[in-house]
Parts: sequence; structure tokens; C-alpha cells
Amino acid sequence: MTLAVDTPWWLAALLLAVLPLFNNGIQPSTYPWLVMLPIDPLSQFISLLLRVCAMVTIAALVLGLAGLHQSEQSRERIAYGANIVLLLDRSNSMDNTFAGKTPDGANESKATAARRLLSSFVGQRPHDLLGIAEYSTAPLFVLPLTENKAAIHAAINATATPALAYTHVSKGLSMALDMFKEQPLSGSRIVLLVSDGAAAIDPDSELQLRLAFKRQNIRLYWLFLRTANSPGIFDKPQDPRDDNAGAMPERYLHLFFASLNIPYQAYQAESPDAMQQAIDDINRLEHTPLHYRERIPKRDLSGDCYLWATGLLAVLLAVKFFEVKR
Amino acid sequence: MSSKPYQNYRFWLLSLALIAMLVSFSRPTQNQVRPIYNYTFIIDITRSMNAADYQLDGQVLSRLDYVKHSLRGLLAKLPCQSKIGLGLFTERRSTLLFEPIEVCQGFNDIDTALANVDWRMAWAADSRIASGLLNTLDILQNIDTHVIFITDGQEAPPVNPRYRSDFTAVKGKAKGMVIGAGGLQAVPIPKFNNKGEPDGFYRPDDVPHRSTFGESDLNPEKIVGYNARNAPFGSEAAVGGEHLSALQENYLQALSAEAGLHYQRLTNVDDLATALQISDFAEQKTTPVDVRWQAAMLALGLYVLVYVWPMALCLKSWITAGRRGIKAISKMHQTHV
Repeated sequence: MTLAVDTPWWLAALLLAVLPLFNNGIQPSTYPWLVMLPIDPLSQFISLLLRVCAMVTIAALVLGLAGLHQSEQSRERIAYGANIVLLLDRSNSMDNTFAGKTPDGANESKATAARRLLSSFVGQRPHDLLGIAEYSTAPLFVLPLTENKAAIHAAINATATPALAYTHVSKGLSMALDMFKEQPLSGSRIVLLVSDGAAAIDPDSELQLRLAFKRQNIRLYWLFLRTANSPGIFDKPQDPRDDNAGAMPERYLHLFFASLNIPYQAYQAESPDAMQQAIDDINRLEHTPLHYRERIPKRDLSGDCYLWATGLLAVLLAVKFFEVKR
Repeated sequence: MSSKPYQNYRFWLLSLALIAMLVSFSRPTQNQVRPIYNYTFIIDITRSMNAADYQLDGQVLSRLDYVKHSLRGLLAKLPCQSKIGLGLFTERRSTLLFEPIEVCQGFNDIDTALANVDWRMAWAADSRIASGLLNTLDILQNIDTHVIFITDGQEAPPVNPRYRSDFTAVKGKAKGMVIGAGGLQAVPIPKFNNKGEPDGFYRPDDVPHRSTFGESDLNPEKIVGYNARNAPFGSEAAVGGEHLSALQENYLQALSAEAGLHYQRLTNVDDLATALQISDFAEQKTTPVDVRWQAAMLALGLYVLVYVWPMALCLKSWITAGRRGIKAISKMHQTHV
């Protein structure tokens, strides 16, 4: 427990608390000869008690004025959740519908569907730490792993701005993996790749990605938004000559992910409903216990100080009625 | 025999102090008007922003690094409930990374996002500042925020004055500011290789020195080697200083005037904070502020008086006694004389 004050200079007023040491705050009665009075331990005790009460009253008022509070803390909790990095495709084609057309009133674009479904996914997962990376030709770092859901929603909403250029998935993946670097190992680490296309991964980054996936202990979900009449991730080409990464990047990216020996699940969604199902599936699967630190916001103690001061003032006032005047 | 306590000033002081404290439990509040701000920073991440012409603690810093440093500094200066969004500009348009987020709750997130802004995030080359600004104002139209566009104003390749962006559609609709980053002295622009390692600087023959798009705005008779189809800009090789970069302040001022935005040059964090916290951008927010301290202060004053009063009386009697003594002594003195 750490205590702190808002305005430290008020603490100088704590000096006032010594005043009751000089004077017990009671109407003195004249007495012919003090030496004649016997020493009474009970009276001395009461006098001391009154002075202590007075000192505590002044101190409580001053601490209340200084804004005494318990500073922000965190405590460890266990809940069901995960560390999830959303890796979103910002390539041009995301602004088209699942039919590969410009969105009209009836059909929303893949990006809009992704935005809507991801927002509700985030809303359903209160204990997750979420981060966001995006990629088109270059990777974009958006938000680090955070529990600030308002920020995550702001970032998901921001994908409403027009999409960018091409699909360069390997750089995006490295950025997403890097986001786990500074996180302590607790709970599952998930990369949720949402894309509508793929690109061949060059041999250099392939090796690096393999290492990183293994080292970071990642679980990978690929939500592939398939456009009508485009090659799917599970399709085999009719002509064996087309069976290469250049002609069928989606299939080869899937093979690459499957060869990583990490928990990996691919979903091929051809409509917003299929996408909803895939997201529900992930939501259900990823419920492992996660240690996380819950932040306890700073607690204002000035109210308690004032309460104490008021109580003691009432006691001291009550004592006034017992004073005897001769 | 018990006396009446209310004949004693101590009783009255204590009672008043207690009443003041009891009043404080009704949680008195006062409405206070505070300005809060809402900005979306669009940072230019084109190559010229890598030019190093800022200094910080004796270290030479690139424009982009200095912009990041300044914005992170500014973040700590904004009042809570202010909001900050972030976007990037390259090529001829910008993208929004996140819509404005509350600064106190999202401090770490915004700070980390700012720290991670990198020129390598650029999804395309080219640096068309005017088109970028126009596009930014256009995409942020529907978001309630003030656009702060941070750039050095270096158009690359140079614009053809014949085809300038037209801001009339957005002028006056958006409030915002253009921030000019960089020094007025032209400095070389660092070059990087495929792997992102530094690789010297851009040389004159690495960059185009004039626009070769469309038609020239000059009178064809004045262009050496003019040919309407094959050489609309003439046959002479263009020479120029486009491989060097300086803050194009005049150009940016003209652009901001066209777009109806403010202009400010980035010098340091404090000036940036002052420039941004102008009434034009401020939203006055009324928040109830806790004023229990007023009651508590009154109670403290009254209660302390219980102890200070007798001391004052005591002091007074000493002083009068002293005076009397002095008078008596001087009288004695007089009678003796």
C-alpha cells in the first residue's frame, strides 16, 4: 500500500498539530494553591487523551486538505482470456465485397464486415490483452497489447478510412510477433490474421518467421476472407504447373503455417455469416486461464480523513459539556 | 456544579468547526470550466523526414524522431479527457491508425504507438504534400477532431504548378493546423538500402528535379527543345536541389491559408503545446469540482483558534504587564530624580 498526497506543501500545516501540546484547550479554573491538588493518574490520562484527540483532529484535517490517497496499484488475478494480436489486412481489395464488387447497400465490404465482427469479438472478451498491427505493402504498428478496450475500438473503427496498397504479409507477421516480445509469458499468445489474400513469403523472412513463431510460443488463427472465384486456401490447382507460391500464394501460405508445428487453425469465410462463425469458434476455443494484473485505480482517502476529523470534533465538543466550572 | 458551556468561546469555535465538517459531507461541488482538446496527428513519414536537422541534448535527431519526441512530450501536457488520434501520411494520402483516444487512460498506448512510428511504415514512395493534406481533410471529415498535419513540406517529385490541389471543397470545414518540421537550411536526405540499413545520402541524380507530368505551365516558346509530344518540358536536363531538403515554410503557409488551417513551425515541445492549446481548438468542458476543502479549511482554522486564542491572550497580558512594569520603573526613576 502506497500513500501519497496531491499537494505536498499542505503537509507543512501538520506543524499545527503540536499546538495542543502547549495548551489542552480547556477553560482553566482558578485554584488557590495547585500544590494542594493530589496527583490523579486518571485525570492525567484523560488530559493526555484529549490532547491526542486534538492532535489527531488537526492532522486528519491537514491530511484531508493535502489530498491523501492510496496510489494506483495492481493485483494479480486469474481469468479466462488471452493475449491477442489482431493482424489486419489493409490492402485495397478489402474494400470490395465478398463477391469482389464495390460495396452497395445490400452487400457490405470485407473491411466493413471485419470491422463489425471484430468489434463485437473485442466486446465479448473483457479480460484479454489486445494489440493491433496492420499491413499492406509495409507493416503498420497501431497499438501495443493493452487492456484499454476503448483504444482498441478506436483503432478498429479507424480502418474505415480507405485501404492502402498491396499485401505484404510476411512483414506484418514479423511485426505482430514482435509485439509479444516484452510480454511476460502468461496465458496463450494468439495472432489472429484477418486477410483476403496472401503473398509469397521470401526465403529470408521465412526462416526468421519460423524461429519467431517457435520462440514466442504463438497460436495462430487465419481468418481468410475468400472472394468469389478466387483460389481458396484448401484448393489444389488443376494444373500441376500452377502448384507454386507465385501462382497460389494463399495455398502456400496455408502450407507454410501448417508446417510451423504450432497450434494453427485456418478459417475460410466466404460470407459475413461464415466469418461470424469462425470468430465465435475462436472465442470459444480461447478460454484458457490467464494470469493478469488488474489495475486498482487510486483511492481517495481524504473522505476518511474528514470523517475521522468530524468524529473527533464531535467527541471534543461533547467533552465540553462535562467541563466543570467553579 | 456544572457551568454553561456556551459561555465559552471554545465551545462556539468547536461547534462551528463541527458544523463546517458536517456540511462537507453533503459533497459540495463547484462547476469549473476547463478546456479540453481533441487532435488527430497526421505525421509525414516520407524520406525527407529522415533528414537530421534537429538537436536534442547535443544529439542530432531526424525530423521524424523530433516530431515523435515532441508529440510524446505534448501528450503529458494535455488535460485529462482530451483525445488524441494518430495517422500517417506518405505518397499522396494518409491512413488513420486510430481514432482519438482519451489521453489519461490511453497514455501508454498512445505513447507506445508514437514511439513505433517509423518511416518504414510507408506503404508507397512519393511525397505529395498538397494532395496528402487534401486527402487527410477529406477522410477525417466525419470524425469530430482537429487535424494536425505535420510535415516538412518537401514535395517529391516537385509539383507542376499547373495541377495544384484545389482546397475550395474543404476550406473552412475543418479546423486544424499544419506544423512545419525541419530547419530552413537545406540538408542531405539519408538513404537506406533494401534491408533498411543507412546507405549514404541521396545524390542529385537520384531524384527528379522538376515535374514531368502533363504539360508545362511555361510558354512553349520559352522552353528550350520544346516538342509538344516528345518533350513537353524541353530537352535540357533539369538541375536543382531536390536531393536536399529544407522546411518549405512559405509553401506550407500558403497551403494552410488555402485550406483554412493554422500554421506553426515546430521548434520545441513548449511552443508546440502553446500553439496547439489555442481557444480555436479548445472545447470548454464544465466539470463539477470537489470543494470539500473549503469546509475543511474553515474547520481547521476555527479549531486551531481554540489553541491559538489563549496563547494570544497570554502574549497580550505579558505585553501589557511588561509595559506597566516599564511605566512603573520610569515613574520610580522620575520620582527619584
